[in-house]
Amino acid sequence: MLESIFLLPLLTGLLTLFLPVRLGRVVLVATALLHLQLTVTGWLRAATPHLPAYFGNTPAGFLVVLVTSFIFVCIAPYSVFYMREQEMKSEPIFLGCMQLFLGTMSMAALADHPIVLWIAIEATTLVSAPLIFINRSKKALEATWKYVLICSVGIALALLGFFFITLALDRAGIDVPLTFTALNTAARQLDPLWLRTGFIFVLIGFGTKMGLAPMHTWLPDAHSEAPSPASALLSGALLNCAFLGIYKVHTLMVLAGLGDFSSALLIGFGLFSILVAGIFILNQPDYKRMLAYSSIENMGVIAFGIGVGGLGVYGAMLHLIHHSLLKSSLFLSAGNLVLGFGTKLVAQCGGMVRLLPRTFCSFFGGFIGISGLPPFGIFVSELLILTGAFQTGHPVAAGLFIAALVLVVAGFARIVMTMSFGPNREEVLVPEQNARIMPPLALLLTSALLCVWMPEPLFRTIVNTIAVIGGTIHG
Amino acid sequence: MITSIDVILVVILLSALLSLGSSRMMALVKIMALQGAMVSIAPLFLEPHSRLSNDGVLFFQLMLLIKAALIPGLLYLAVTRVAIKREVEPIVGYHASLAVGLGLILVSAYIARHLGIPLSGDYTLLMITAITTLGGGLFLMMSRTKAITQVIGYLMLENGIYLVGTALTKHSHSIYLVEFGVLLDLLVGVMIMGIILHNINRTFDDVDTTYLGQLKD
Repeated sequence: MLESIFLLPLLTGLLTLFLPVRLGRVVLVATALLHLQLTVTGWLRAATPHLPAYFGNTPAGFLVVLVTSFIFVCIAPYSVFYMREQEMKSEPIFLGCMQLFLGTMSMAALADHPIVLWIAIEATTLVSAPLIFINRSKKALEATWKYVLICSVGIALALLGFFFITLALDRAGIDVPLTFTALNTAARQLDPLWLRTGFIFVLIGFGTKMGLAPMHTWLPDAHSEAPSPASALLSGALLNCAFLGIYKVHTLMVLAGLGDFSSALLIGFGLFSILVAGIFILNQPDYKRMLAYSSIENMGVIAFGIGVGGLGVYGAMLHLIHHSLLKSSLFLSAGNLVLGFGTKLVAQCGGMVRLLPRTFCSFFGGFIGISGLPPFGIFVSELLILTGAFQTGHPVAAGLFIAALVLVVAGFARIVMTMSFGPNREEVLVPEQNARIMPPLALLLTSALLCVWMPEPLFRTIVNTIAVIGGTIHG
Repeated sequence: MITSIDVILVVILLSALLSLGSSRMMALVKIMALQGAMVSIAPLFLEPHSRLSNDGVLFFQLMLLIKAALIPGLLYLAVTRVAIKREVEPIVGYHASLAVGLGLILVSAYIARHLGIPLSGDYTLLMITAITTLGGGLFLMMSRTKAITQVIGYLMLENGIYLVGTALTKHSHSIYLVEFGVLLDLLVGVMIMGIILHNINRTFDDVDTTYLGQLKD
C-alpha cells in the first residue's frame, strides 16, 4: 500500500511527542530506517495506491520521496548525537516534529490530487515551524514568524492557482476526475487562458516555498535559525517537495502545448534567483545564511534546467538529487561547527583545519561539491544543464547562468577559506565525535558514487520522469 | 429582487470594509467571526448546493464551527491573554484604508465583468465580494503593525480564496474530505501563529512586528 509510506512517520511522529526523550530518539532512528525500507520496496514493486483519487505512483514523486528518505536516514542518527550536546527542554517536540515533517513531505510527493498536494505542502510549513522555533531565542522567534506567515500567504495563492486550473477543466466541459494523471491525459482540451493564470499563481505560491527570488525572504532566516539537522531537512528535502508542485503543473502546461510560456517564466525566475543568491553570498557574515543563499541558488539552477528543456531537464533532475545530498551534508557539518565554535559568524571562526580536522574534511568536501567541481554530482548536472541551454537555443541565458554561478562560487570560496585557514582560535567548545562526522561523509560519498555508478532502477525512474515533458538524455 | 444570497454577500462585503476601518482589536475579532459564519453558509444558498448529501451537511456544520467559533475564539483568547494594547495601530490611516477598500470594490467589479466567463447574476456579486475580501486581507496584512492583525488579514485572504473557489468551480469537484483538509490546515495554522504570538509578546513585551527586524542582509 502506497499510503503506508507517509502514514508510518505521521503516526510515530505523533506518538513521539508523548514519549520520554530516550525512547523518542530510538523511535526516530527506527522510523527513518523503516521509512527507507517502505520507500524502496514500494518503489521497486510499483506499489499501488489504496485511494487512487488522491494519491498516485508517479516517477517524479518517487524520486523526491527516495531522496528525502535517504537523507533522513543520515540525518536521524546525527540529530540524536547533536541533541545530546545541546540542553534542550522540549526535545520530544523536536523528535516528533522531525518525523511529522518527513510524513507530510512524503505525502506531498505522493499526492496526485492538486488540493491534497496543497494540503500536504501547507502541512509541511506547520509541522516544521516548531523545528525552527525550538531554541526560543528572539531571532528564532522572528524567523519562525516570517516563515509561517510568508509561506502561508504564498501557499494560499497556490490554492487560488489550483482553483483556476479546476476552472480551466470546467470550461473545457469534460468530465474527468481532478487528479494530475487525469488532467495530463486531457491537457489539450483545457482552457489555455485559465491554465496560464493558474500556472502563474502556482509558480508564485510554491515558488515562495521553494525559495525562488524575489519570494525567498523567509529562507535565509529560517535556515540559519533552525538547529542544523532541521536546516538540513528544510534545505535538502522540503524545497524539493515545493519544486515538485511547480513541476507537476509545468508538465501539465507542456502537455497542453503551453510549454514555451511556462519555460520562459521558469528560466526568468531561475536566473534571477541565482543572481540574487550570488550577490548576497559575496559579503555574507554568517555561514549558515551563506548555505541558505546557496540553496536559493541551486533551486534557481533546477528551475533554469527545467525551463531550458531537452538535456537540461535531465540535468535538473540530477541536480535535485545531488543538491539534496551535498547541501544536507554541508548543513550537518555546519552543525558540528556551531557546536565546536559556538558561533555562526564567519569572522569568529578560523583555523578549522587545525582545530576540527575531520569536520574540515566534510565541510570542504561539501564546498567542492556544491561549487560544481568533480568528483561530485553537481559538476555533471550543471554541465548537462549548460549543454542543454546551448542546444535548445538559449545562449544569452546560458551566459548569464555561467556569470551568476561564478559569482556564487567566488563568494562561497572566500568564506570557506577564511573559516578553514584563517587566524586560529584558541580552543573548541565541543570536541568532534565520529557519530557526528560519519553522516555528512556518507552523504558526500553517495553523491560521488552516484556520479560514476547509477543503479538501473534509479536511472529508469529519472528517464520516465523527464520523458513526459520531452527531456532527453541524448543531446 | 433581493435574494438571501445577496444579503449574505453584502454582509461579507461590509465586514471586509468594517475590518479596514475599525480601530479596536476586539471589534476586529468579532467582525472576523461574523465574516467566517457568512462565508461558511454562503454556498448553501447558491443553486447547485440546494440538494445536499449527508457528507455535505456534516461538512458545512464543521466549517461553521471552525470558521465562526473556533478560530475567532482562539483570536479572542490571544487578544485577552496577550494583553495587547487594544488599538490597531495602523501604518495607513483608517480613512485611507476605507478608501482603499472602496477602490478594491471598483477594481473587483471591473475584473468580474472582464473575466471572459459568463457569470450569472448571483455569481457576479459573489466574484466581486470574493476579490474584495481577498485584496482587503492582503492590504490588512501589509498596513498594520500588530502581529495579530496580520493573522486576521491572512484569515480574510483565505476567506476570499474560498469564495473564489465557490464562485468559479463546478460543484461536481467538491469532495468534502479534501475541503475539510484545507480547513484543518487553516485551524492548525492559526493555532501555531497563536503560540508564536504568545511567545513574541513574552519576549518583546509587545506584539508589534517592527521589533522583528533583526534578521536581514
